Amino acid sequence: MRSRDGNNDFSLRLCSIIIFGSLALNASEYLISYKYIIEDIMLYNETLLISEAMTKCHGKPQEEFIFSKSDNKDLKKVISENATEFIDYIHRLGLHIEHKGRTTNLQNSSTTTLVLKTTCFKVDFNDNFVKIAPLK
Amino acid sequence: MRYSVLLALLLSVSSLFASERDATTVEQTNAELKKVRAEAAQIREELAQAKAQKEEAFASIKAEEELLKKNSSMHISVVGQGVAPMNTASPAQAYALAKRAAIADAYRAIAEKVKGVRIDGQDTIKNMMIQKSTIRTYVQAMVKNANIVETTFKEGLCEVEMEIMISHSDFAQ
Repeated sequence: MRSRDGNNDFSLRLCSIIIFGSLALNASEYLISYKYIIEDIMLYNETLLISEAMTKCHGKPQEEFIFSKSDNKDLKKVISENATEFIDYIHRLGLHIEHKGRTTNLQNSSTTTLVLKTTCFKVDFNDNFVKIAPLK
Repeated sequence: MRYSVLLALLLSVSSLFASERDATTVEQTNAELKKVRAEAAQIREELAQAKAQKEEAFASIKAEEELLKKNSSMHISVVGQGVAPMNTASPAQAYALAKRAAIADAYRAIAEKVKGVRIDGQDTIKNMMIQKSTIRTYVQAMVKNANIVETTFKEGLCEVEMEIMISHSDFAQ
């Protein structure tokens, strides 16, 4: 026969498993890539690709970003609502730069490409905010 | 006897004149020597000044070519420029697009400063005349944690001032 304290311990454990389990169910992983091309100091093309990961990603969450006041469960909609902030966050994470310049008979033309290589992000959807962090 | 006295007198007078002339030449040579010495001193001073200037210039070049030492950090500041495309829907869109281009330009400038630029040049000469002159530049880098300090948008041109702090540990990873 179990003591009262033992039962209490068991119920606490059960509750914590249920709570953390439900949180884990809301967390998902997404693959995000971003690229933009500048030609002769003018924006030529910009691409932001978002896709849900089909296989489990490895790594630990790094610099996180919180979309405050967002209860949407669709990441694409959340990002489109906060596009400017998210692009700034992507810049902070680090972008690969490739610049090609060509000067022919004293006439210059250049192409600069900035790329965020496909990175896995862990996304936590909560009631009032959405938390996103890259896995590295 | 009278002639001999006159001769002696003449001789003595001529010798007197000769000694006076010698004295004046010595004075002249002394003055010239002084002048030459003064000139030499001036040249020496000028040389010393030139040497000091050279050393200063060398020191400033050394300061410009600052190396990232262990346990130290370096601050880099650049300005990027961007222009909005012609077919924008609104001034706000033009500003956003020009700013994006300016940010990319600033990133490129940081990459150029930190990693350097590959340059390839080619000139085609035919019949002693230049036909085509081409210069290709190439930059490749990865930049993170760059901060925008100031953004200005004037007459369609957007300028973004960007800074980055680079520490030795960033490269030691």
